[in-house]
Amino acid sequence: MLIEVAQFLTILATGLFFLCFLFSNIFNLNDLNIINLISRIYSHSFFLFLSSFLIYVWMAISDNFSVLYIAQHSNTNLPVFYKISSIWSAHEGSMYLWIIFLSLWGAIYNFFTKNNEPLKARTIGIISITTVGFLLFLLLTSNPFETILPLPPENGADINPVLQDPLLAIHPPALYLGYVGFVIAFGQALAFLIEGDSSINWEKQVRFWSIISWSFLTLGITLGSWWAYYELGWGGYWFWDPVENVALMPWLAATAFIHSLSASSKSSILRIWTILLSILVFSLSLFGAFIVRSGIIDSVHSFANDPERGLYLLAFIGLLVMTSLVLFSYRFKILVSNKRIISLSKESFISINNILFGTLIFSTMLGVIYPLIYEYIYDQKISVGAPFYNAIYVPITLLACLFLFSSIESKWQKKSIITFFSNPSNASIIFSLLITFIAFKLYSISKLWTLASLFVGSLIIFRYILVIYSYVFHKKFVNIYSVLAHLGLGLLIISIALNNDFSSERALNIKINEAEMYKNHEITFDNLQLVNGPNYESVRADFIIEDQNGNKFFLNPEKRKYFVRGQITTETAIHASILKDVYLTIGDQLDDGSWIVNVQFNYFIRWIWFSAALMTISGLFLARSINRAKQ
Amino acid sequence: MKPIRKKRLQRVLLILAGSALGSFFIIRALDTNLDFFYTPSEIILEEIPQNKRIKVGGMVLENSVVRDKTKISFTVTDYQGSLNVEFDGIVPDLFKEGSGVVVLGYLNGETVLAEEVLAKHDENYMPPSIDIKK
Repeated sequence: MLIEVAQFLTILATGLFFLCFLFSNIFNLNDLNIINLISRIYSHSFFLFLSSFLIYVWMAISDNFSVLYIAQHSNTNLPVFYKISSIWSAHEGSMYLWIIFLSLWGAIYNFFTKNNEPLKARTIGIISITTVGFLLFLLLTSNPFETILPLPPENGADINPVLQDPLLAIHPPALYLGYVGFVIAFGQALAFLIEGDSSINWEKQVRFWSIISWSFLTLGITLGSWWAYYELGWGGYWFWDPVENVALMPWLAATAFIHSLSASSKSSILRIWTILLSILVFSLSLFGAFIVRSGIIDSVHSFANDPERGLYLLAFIGLLVMTSLVLFSYRFKILVSNKRIISLSKESFISINNILFGTLIFSTMLGVIYPLIYEYIYDQKISVGAPFYNAIYVPITLLACLFLFSSIESKWQKKSIITFFSNPSNASIIFSLLITFIAFKLYSISKLWTLASLFVGSLIIFRYILVIYSYVFHKKFVNIYSVLAHLGLGLLIISIALNNDFSSERALNIKINEAEMYKNHEITFDNLQLVNGPNYESVRADFIIEDQNGNKFFLNPEKRKYFVRGQITTETAIHASILKDVYLTIGDQLDDGSWIVNVQFNYFIRWIWFSAALMTISGLFLARSINRAKQ
Repeated sequence: MKPIRKKRLQRVLLILAGSALGSFFIIRALDTNLDFFYTPSEIILEEIPQNKRIKVGGMVLENSVVRDKTKISFTVTDYQGSLNVEFDGIVPDLFKEGSGVVVLGYLNGETVLAEEVLAKHDENYMPPSIDIKK
């Protein structure tokens, strides 16, 4: 009974959202009452929709297995936390969550935007029609409300054990919040184009929302990467899997977008870039949904294959993009600025980096869809792996960082006279050369790209430390959060390079009570025991590791068998220190009783997480400071 | 030609040349880094150079897994042709005899020296091209 209520509320909300869109287009928006009406209908339909989701959550918590989706993905033995997160562990439920977030962003925007201008009503109209598009997708092709009646099963089928992890429970929500948060930017860009009044400064209003979404996107990607690192047992943090790539593309576009925004909220010089990028960010977010949910590309993460879903999404995305681009070209005249980009001004560096980011996005897109094209033409299956992406990303990222470095001293709309050879820049260059030289001589780092990354990374870090210095001691005005986020970037580049250069692994063959040496570490297999967990049984190995300084620590990798699905999973054991992780996984037992154990030394991996965390947190504070300045 | 037109033409040509050069490098990077996917029977029929990284997908043949210390060897088959695989390291949890596997590595005679062994995160998974034939 409850499920029908939830479904009915969703259908009702769909209708009301559509009404918002309709009203924002047919009525005269100079009438304040109409704007208030649209705003109110939106709030109401959001609350209807939210109630339907809360009912759904309640049904998942109370083990209502008459709902097909809950019966397929939850289980009475699960802790409440995972009963809730089981909702977004597969296609239908995660789509549901995605749309909840989509309309949530709209609701927050609606609530906090106090000025009742036509632009607001139009933006809400566009957010509404996007929501309707996805709601129809949910109801028509992936209905989470389907029931098993009259005889519901005794118990549910459980969620996949590798997904029973606190981090993975919050990874999709963070990622989705980031993806769909850009609907506000997209909506405002289109609303601006429809209004056709070039004096409206929509960029200022949209900056706050976009930087928050960017932070969530960064957080979501990092959490996913961290989860993959410790859960999948491969010891890597990025695999260039299509699903990772389709999350990376919107992130790149979003990064370019928020930089262009800060340029065009000051003058309208980069407006064309900003509008195009706002459309691109949101389309790429939707494209990601399409790739993951249509199953057209082989990936370890993909949801079940369903061509009908893919077709619907493709048609919907196509329609949105086409409409946006038609609007864009129709209003092109009002976007053209009478000012020119002055060379060596801040705008010029942002434009160059926009081009570089565009190249990265284009190459990634090519890597994702090339296998499809190739198979269609030559009837031969291929895949594009890490070597391609490394060949593209490393040089372009480093180049973009050099432009970032030069832009620090530049000014908006002014040619900066000495860019490369002023004192702070010189100091940074000399210092970075020194660091690189030390790394080359003392730590025998010899790979060219590692050295180049080290140089560029330290260049950024030192230059920004000097910026912080003049901020603290000379009261020079900078936005400190933006500085911290860029420090995060410098640190990230160095950590990735060093991780790649230093990390190593080896498979060992050890019997109980025996020891093996690997890189000055003595690894002793101490004991093996059977352990019972709440919904699994496990073989737990006890290892004692002693490094060259006599420091000892224990590691307990496991192999688990989950009762409900009978699935076996590997639990890694990690000993983290500032410089490196010792990372242990156990494989199979051989006939002679010995076990295969994989030892990895992963260097600077904590630094990667730290850099990403720094970027995320700085992003959130940056948004807050922008919001304060606005008031 | 008027100076302003000349300037515009130069700019257009510059942009075109730049994009062409960029695309050339991207496509070249792509072409040299493709991993081709084969089934065991295709590998037996076609000539595949040894220095080319390939992906082989198929089923792990029953009773073919032999382990020696950290090394493992097994036969991958599409029930029309078979190929031996050698690998040093830990195979994934879902790796077992009679289920699907994808191997990434280099061909050496009749043997694939594997760099990676993948089994999909789904117990119902079948390597793509085997689905139909079985």
